[in-house]
Amino acid sequence: MDLIYDLLREAIAPTTAAFALAAIGLNFHFGLTGLLNMGQAGFMLLGMYGYAIVVREGGPIWLGILAAIAAAAVFGLLLGWPTLKLRGDYLAIVTIAAAEMIRYLGRSQNLNALTGASTGIRGSDFKGSFEMLSPFPDEQVTIWVWTFHGTRSTSWWLLLVGWALVALFLLMFWRLSKSPWGRVLKGIREDEDAVRSLGKNVYSYKMQALVIGGVIGAIAGIVWALGASVQPDSMGRPTTFWIWTLLLLGGAATVFGPVLGSILFWCSLVLVKGLASLLIPESVLSTQELEPFSLMLVGIALMCLVIFRPQGVLGDKKELAFND
Amino acid sequence: MTETWRAYGDDILTWRGSLTKRIDRRAIMRALIVFAVAALAVTLVSSVGTSAFAETSDTATIAASSSTVHADVETTDAEITVDESSGPGTNRVAQNVFNGLVFGLLLALASVGLSLIYGTTGLSNFAHGEQVSLGAMLAYFFATQQPVSIPLTPWEFVIGWPLWLASIAAIIVAGGTGWLQDRFLWSKLRKRNVKIVQQMIVSIGLSLAMLNLLQWWIGPDRVRVSIAIEERHQFGPIQLGSTTAMSIGISIAVLLGVGYFLLRTRLGRATRAVSDNPSLASASGIKVDGIIRLVWVMATSLAALGGILMAFYDSGTKFDVGARLLLLMFAAVTLGGLGQPFGALVGSLVIGVVVETSTLWLGPDLKYATALGILIIVLLVRPQGILGRAERVG
Amino acid sequence: MTDDMFADVKHEPGASKPDPIVVADKVHRHFGGLTAVDVEHFEVQRGAITALIGPNGAGKSTFFNLLTGFDKPQTGDWLFNGHSLKGVSPAKVARAGKVRTFQLTKALSRMTVLENMRLGASDQKGENFFYAFAKPLWADREEEITARAHVLLKRFKLYEKKDDYAGSLSGGQRKLLEMARALMSEPEMVMLDEPMAGVNPALTESLLDHIVELKQEGVTVLFVEHDMHMVRRISDWVVVMAEGKIIAEGPPSTVMQNEQVQAAYLGSHHDEDLSELPSADELHEEASE
Repeated sequence: MDLIYDLLREAIAPTTAAFALAAIGLNFHFGLTGLLNMGQAGFMLLGMYGYAIVVREGGPIWLGILAAIAAAAVFGLLLGWPTLKLRGDYLAIVTIAAAEMIRYLGRSQNLNALTGASTGIRGSDFKGSFEMLSPFPDEQVTIWVWTFHGTRSTSWWLLLVGWALVALFLLMFWRLSKSPWGRVLKGIREDEDAVRSLGKNVYSYKMQALVIGGVIGAIAGIVWALGASVQPDSMGRPTTFWIWTLLLLGGAATVFGPVLGSILFWCSLVLVKGLASLLIPESVLSTQELEPFSLMLVGIALMCLVIFRPQGVLGDKKELAFND
Repeated sequence: MTETWRAYGDDILTWRGSLTKRIDRRAIMRALIVFAVAALAVTLVSSVGTSAFAETSDTATIAASSSTVHADVETTDAEITVDESSGPGTNRVAQNVFNGLVFGLLLALASVGLSLIYGTTGLSNFAHGEQVSLGAMLAYFFATQQPVSIPLTPWEFVIGWPLWLASIAAIIVAGGTGWLQDRFLWSKLRKRNVKIVQQMIVSIGLSLAMLNLLQWWIGPDRVRVSIAIEERHQFGPIQLGSTTAMSIGISIAVLLGVGYFLLRTRLGRATRAVSDNPSLASASGIKVDGIIRLVWVMATSLAALGGILMAFYDSGTKFDVGARLLLLMFAAVTLGGLGQPFGALVGSLVIGVVVETSTLWLGPDLKYATALGILIIVLLVRPQGILGRAERVG
Repeated sequence: MTDDMFADVKHEPGASKPDPIVVADKVHRHFGGLTAVDVEHFEVQRGAITALIGPNGAGKSTFFNLLTGFDKPQTGDWLFNGHSLKGVSPAKVARAGKVRTFQLTKALSRMTVLENMRLGASDQKGENFFYAFAKPLWADREEEITARAHVLLKRFKLYEKKDDYAGSLSGGQRKLLEMARALMSEPEMVMLDEPMAGVNPALTESLLDHIVELKQEGVTVLFVEHDMHMVRRISDWVVVMAEGKIIAEGPPSTVMQNEQVQAAYLGSHHDEDLSELPSADELHEEASE
């Protein structure tokens, strides 16, 4: 019973929403445009730094969000500028390197006063003003089967905001992917030169996609940080890889793929851990071994997905997520 | 095939001759602007940081890691660097440059393989870092006097082989994983005509799986392959430990061996032919699949050797050592020119020196960041790398 | 009718035409030590079908890439409708009214045939990020271009396939789609890179008819081709390239009699440019078509 409750809780948790958001951003990159952004966690980290630092220093919420968006947009422009003219895997290497650089800078002792170095920024330093806005009572609230705190950290309030943002950006993705703008991006995904020969400025479109997806990643970072704290090491490469896994799991280029992927991904992690601790004796697989064990399965799942079902759960079999 | 090699040589000469012409002026402008913006940002941010640094430095030691369900597996400890610069009569700059060259040599062992794989198959193998860790972990597994076990089995046992035997066994097993990978994974994907991008994501999945397998198997803590404390000797301005000297010797010998193989043996020339143009090589009777299998075994064995020597050099190792090195390897390979094994060697040495000397100005926690900065700047100015040839368009 | 335009044109390389739409001067492109294109002077007559032929490795495709902005020469200048296109990006070349197709077809596989066609249209407000949010701003234009796409698809006998993914089309159908897509922007000039390569004989006929139809509508056509029969059937003027240079020009009936041309074709087997061999990927693509 506990396991089922854990699953239900995980399915709607704010972190699930945050990862769904980050995956929507990646869907603009990879699903629509075919860009290999391997640094989505870097965009998220920039977003949470931008928000948390501004708010900690007494800035209003809107300014914090603006700072997050601006940081991600500038980051995207700087990364895209030199690399979007090169072959696709250069972008992959540069984005992964740049994201790691952000993390190294963030956890550097030199920036301790600003970023809190490897400790990060404590939640209590920046969550207050957001939690003040909560319409929910300041206590545990149970709605149907779920019990969350009303306002603090992983709360009903954050949950509401997180999923509302997911809905908003899903709507945006749907509208844009069905527009002539989205059509150009899909064309670029299929064949850049063909789109160039039809008179479209491929570079500019790739840049737009990179920046928009990155900004959505930054907003995902804010949601994530409001549920936990700002932790540079939680936004390392594995985080990016998880986002990729869940996007491919749900189905790249589909509207609901990122959301379904995020829910499936986090629920199956909980399920694997739950089942493993139930079924495998402690002497064979101890509690601290559960985490790497289940994450190893994530890696294997990513490989199998790409090899056997690249279109994901929601993808059309005919419209494979990769070239045929 | 010697012509091909000569062609590489010619290319370097012409590149030197017309350096200014070949490097696009706009590319330099782009690089300078990006560099200036980055430098400005870092300076601004760190000036804010250092001004308040003294007051807050105490709190930094308090590890208030509020871990969540999604907390990262990558651990947060600061790099343990051997402080070799403290001896009397040691010149810090010379010592750092020297350390950089050593680190570069060890890095080269790993990145040459990465470059060979890229050259022959086009794959940017993200799991190559884990191959490095695997070598180090296997050596630990065979050599340690601590009880070890195999995942999902309840038995604990001590193998405790001597270091040389453990290292050789580790390299053989690691090479075996290369063979298995190509036999049962990569060759199948190539046969199914799976696109390179897709293969790259498969390698990411593999890296994630291997990283966590290693953590599960050996544990999250730092381990020591050898418990011996190395003797230090003073040579002019630098200090050199005996184990390090041996590591240098081994890596130079192995790299020379790889060079000899590529330049002077039939198989090696065939390898370079496959690198150059797989369809042409295949048309001229070279068994491309066999060559690629060989490259995988070589690359994984070299990576394992690199991991083992790196474990001696750092006097300790960890399940994620390769994951941290992966980007440095990519930096080295890109710097030298994607798919150019000799470029990877040069690139590794440059990256090694940059990483080690950067600690003269910046904190040690920023030394990897410096290398990544170099990588990005190189991509801006000369995306084909130092030794790479400009790509033909259309 | 068209024979008249070429009545006074000399049968020599770089001959000047009465009403040129493209004029190129001293275009030189080399890769390392290898000269790919070295064209002294070149003109294309407006409203005519001009064929560009030559043995393998003659530099035709490279010249094509240069003229359309996909590659940049070391020296040279070329005009389209009197405006210099030197250093102009491929997208701007296309917007100026000169649209090209590719030797290896670039159908956008995971988009439907109709979406492929719509992408070809120009002046679409909805391609701007901010306009894209508000459908009313671009719905009208979308209807117009869809109507035009339907007309073109019917003409190219692809109408029944309009909702299929382009990836499901046969090699010949992809060629047709690419040509139709190029026409969506109502270009003044189309440049076809080996339009007949890999197309089965039944489709070849209709492809040729389509090219002739284009001329009747006043579109200028420049195409690269290997097959002399095709060239003879539809072209008004033939330009022969070998080793990067234009070695002869003339009407299709006489140009092949030129000694230099014959020598170039016969000698071509000795010095095929290996770098023009398709890569492994391209070979696979061709095989799967």
